[in-house]
Parts: sequence; C-alpha cells; structure tokens
Amino acid sequence: MVLSVLAISLRAEASGLFGPLQTVSREQGGLNTAIGYLYHEDTYKNGESYKIKQNEIYSQAAYGAKNIWEVYARIGVSNMKIAGIFASSDHFVETSQDDFEADWKFFGTLGAKAFYPINEMFGVGAFLQGTYYFSDFSDHVAITSGGVPVRTEMKFENLRDAVFGVGLQAKLPCGTNLYAGPYLYYSEADLSLFSGLYGTEYAEKHYTVKNKSLAGGFAGAEIPLIKGFRLNLEGQFADRFSAGAAISYTY
Amino acid sequence: MKSYFSIVFLIVVLLTAGFAHGQESASTTTPRDVSVSQQVAPSPETGVDPTAIDQSQASPHDTVETINEEYKEDEILEEYVAGNLKEEKVEIADPLEPVNRVVHGFNDKLYFWALKPVAQGYKTVLPEPARLSVKNFFSNLAFPARFLSCLLQADFSGAAMETGRFAINTLWGIGGLLDPSSGKELNLQKQDTDLGQTLGVWGVGQGFYIVWPFFGPSSARDTATLVGDYFLYPVSYINPWYDWLAVRTYEEVNATSLRIGDYEALKDAAIDPYVAFRDAYAQYRYKKIKARKAKGSSSAPVTRQEQPAAPVPEREN
Repeated sequence: MVLSVLAISLRAEASGLFGPLQTVSREQGGLNTAIGYLYHEDTYKNGESYKIKQNEIYSQAAYGAKNIWEVYARIGVSNMKIAGIFASSDHFVETSQDDFEADWKFFGTLGAKAFYPINEMFGVGAFLQGTYYFSDFSDHVAITSGGVPVRTEMKFENLRDAVFGVGLQAKLPCGTNLYAGPYLYYSEADLSLFSGLYGTEYAEKHYTVKNKSLAGGFAGAEIPLIKGFRLNLEGQFADRFSAGAAISYTY
Repeated sequence: MKSYFSIVFLIVVLLTAGFAHGQESASTTTPRDVSVSQQVAPSPETGVDPTAIDQSQASPHDTVETINEEYKEDEILEEYVAGNLKEEKVEIADPLEPVNRVVHGFNDKLYFWALKPVAQGYKTVLPEPARLSVKNFFSNLAFPARFLSCLLQADFSGAAMETGRFAINTLWGIGGLLDPSSGKELNLQKQDTDLGQTLGVWGVGQGFYIVWPFFGPSSARDTATLVGDYFLYPVSYINPWYDWLAVRTYEEVNATSLRIGDYEALKDAAIDPYVAFRDAYAQYRYKKIKARKAKGSSSAPVTRQEQPAAPVPEREN
C-alpha cells in the first residue's frame, strides 16, 4: 500500500565527496575549486527495504591555509530515484508506476575541515558539513483503489543533512594522499502526499522522516595531475556503497 | 526558509570568490580589459605611461653600479617613450558630426547624471573583488563571439585558447566568476577580439564615425557587427525583455564601477572632448586590428625593432 511506506525512515543523504582531510590550498592561504560527481546509493527501511539512487554533480569553492584548515561551499544538482516505493502488495490497489523518480534539483553544502599532521607522512583530521536542498523532489502516481482512481503527488521537501567525520591521512612519496575514516550523519526531510481529494485518506498527509543509521565509513585517494589540478576518488559506505570523483584546481 | 538559505549560500560563494581575487591582487597581476582612454591617452602631465614610471622608480640606487644601471634603464625608457610618442595618427570620416555631437552630449549627461552615481553607490556597497568576479562572469559568457571571431580570423590557436578558457573558467572558476585560466600555470589569456575586428582584419575599412545612444562611439563597420555580437551573447536571449534590460544594465553598472575616473580623465584633458573621443576610438580600434593582423601573419610577437622608425600618418576609411 502506498501510504504505508510513508512512515519509513530515511537513510544517509551525504552530498558530494568528503574529500581529503588536509586542504589542498596553498600554505599561505588560497582558494581551490572543484567539480565533482557522486553516485549515491542507500536504502530506506520500514519493514520493507527501498533502494534510493542519486546522481549528484556539484561545483565547489574552498579556502584554506597553513595546510591545516579549510572552509568550503558547494552548489550542485541531484536527481533521485526510489525503487519500488509506489509498488503495492494489495491486490485491490493498482499504481501507475512502482518507482519514485525526480529530476535534477539544486542543493548547497557548507563545510569545514581541520587537519593535524602527526609527522611528514601521517596526519589526522576532521570535517563537518551540512547540506540543504533548495528545491523539492516530487513525483506523481496514479492510484486506483477499489476502482476509484486518485492522482497523488509525493514530495520530499526541505531535505537537509549534517555529517561529521574523522579520519587518518597518509601522504605517499609520489604526492598521492590516501585517507579513510568513519563518519556520523543526520538527515531529515519533510515528506508530503497530496491528492486534493479532501475527505479521503489520500487528501493530504505530512511526515518528517529521519535517518535511522547514524554511521558510515569512507576512504579515498587524492592524486596530483598537471598544472595545479588534482584528482580525488572516494568511496562511502552506509548500508550501500556510493562512489564518486572530483577534479580540483588550486589557485 | 528556502530563500534565506539561498541568500546565505550566495553570500558565502561571493565571499569565497572574493578571497580568490584578493589573493590575485596581492601576488599576481591580473589581466584586465583596458579602457579606451587607458589605451590611447598618455598621462596628461608627462605624456608617459604611468606604469613605465613606476618601473623606473622601483630601480634600486644604493651603489654607483646600481645608479649606472638605473641610468641605463632610463635611456631605454626614454627611447621606448619616444617611440611610443611617434604613434601613427589615425583619422576617421565624420559626416554625421552634428548628430554625433548631440548623441555624444546625451551619453555624457547619461553618464554623469545616471550611470556614474549609480555605479558609485554600487561601488560603495560591493567590494572590488566581488565586482571583478561579476565582470569575469559576463566576460566568460561572451565567449561565443570571441571564439567565432578567432575562427573567422583563422586564428585557430586563439580559438582553442578561448575554448580552453571557457571550459576551465566555467568548471573550476565557479561558472566564470573566477579566472583561473589567466593564472601563471595555465596562462590562457583572453582573446580580446570581436566581429568588428574580424572585418577589419579582412580589410574592411572602418567607414564613418557614429555615436550611438547608450552604446557610445562606433563606426559604420563596427555597427554592422553589433547585430552579430548581440546574437552571440547569451544574455541577449533572456526573456522577458525587461529581465534582459535589467541584466544588461547591471552589467554596465558593474563595468562602470571598475573604471570610474577614466572617462573624466580623458574628457578633462581634451580641449574638445568630442574630437578627443572620436580620435581615441579610431586609434584604439586601429591598434587592435593591427595587433590581430600581426598575430595572424606571424605567431612570433612583434618586437620594437620591427616597428618602423617614423610611422607614416595613415587615414583609414
């Protein structure tokens, strides 16, 4: 039943790569910018499991100094697909589609990093970032229940998250940085279902959904390219595996 | 709530962009568009390029050797300045002078009564790095006209450079707000050309002088390319028309805020400002086209020794 899935808990909504723990900006202070892509997969759970897929593309501007701190801002777009969320197990209820699919929506991220070098090779760091989706993800589904057709709109509104992570970073002789660590996250969204048919159970419903799982892990590599460009590859795991890449330029 | 977050985010992005310009201004020289007056008008008092004076003053003079070295530099500087003073005189026909003078007066009033006060207020509110970012953004948008002009001038390296600049500045310059391509490492300089210059390179004369309301000095040749430049500028496609007008006005206010004083300097130094601006425009365009022709004929830069010792006055029609 469609409405039964609305009480599900939402899981990780990390937006973009976390990146290396140490800033790539010049030591005396400077800007670095990046473009990135993250394929994000996760699961919704509430009795049944639903797989969420997102493609995120973003542009980032960061300012860091002294090789120990950095603040950054991102703006990007993301789509969303939730497999099987409209599928009904009730034989008397038919839906026009099984999946929730929403087009590209804008999001913004603000974050900060701090790094402490233990020696020339190793260091530890931490980051904190928050993301907010400026637009709502929405999709329509036609539900036929007991012979009565109802067109319903489902919306994810005010999707936002906060992530805090710590990690260890190692610098290889070739200039490549490897990093890994655990992270905590909190995500929340306002979910609404609206059909306009007042007096029915489909009329209008609002929920606040939050993530259930609070932890995940990440690992990545940052590889120097040419003329100030650097390649960042990263994987994140929380219920499902997400991976992405970014190319940064240091001014 | 959404608008609040959007505004906060926009402010953070602009401030971050501002950091980048602060960095550039402190350590490197950023190529900027040089206005007409900067190109053609030497300092009213000395007739010497102010940047050249700064360089001579910066020479050390602690020892005799360094003093001698300084004199040597001065000799070179004098020679250089003397060469510069022997500039080719370029004239342009002006059959519409009475009308042009009226339009020139209108543009002058428009500048002093509307554009300059607004630009000064805007300048007070927004710091220079942010205004430079805005200028970079619009300059990046004007890529199609520069790219096509390079192609039409058979300047394929320029076209490739423009493409690279556009891609890098759009992707890593936050949509063109920053200009990483002009940095030391990448060194992809903007190809300062347009369709009017392309016609000039092809041998089309500039025709007669014409002053357009709002747009300012132009020539028959350059006016003919205004349409092409209009269609090649993405801002032109903004709908409805009043949004387009607002964006273009903002662009102009921002650009003016970065060159307040240039217009006044040339105007104050001239006995007849109308004639001064006409001659300056003609000479400025002539020099641009000459530079483009030189680039097209040889990839090697033109050196001082290759220039004629005594340039012959030329009238381009």
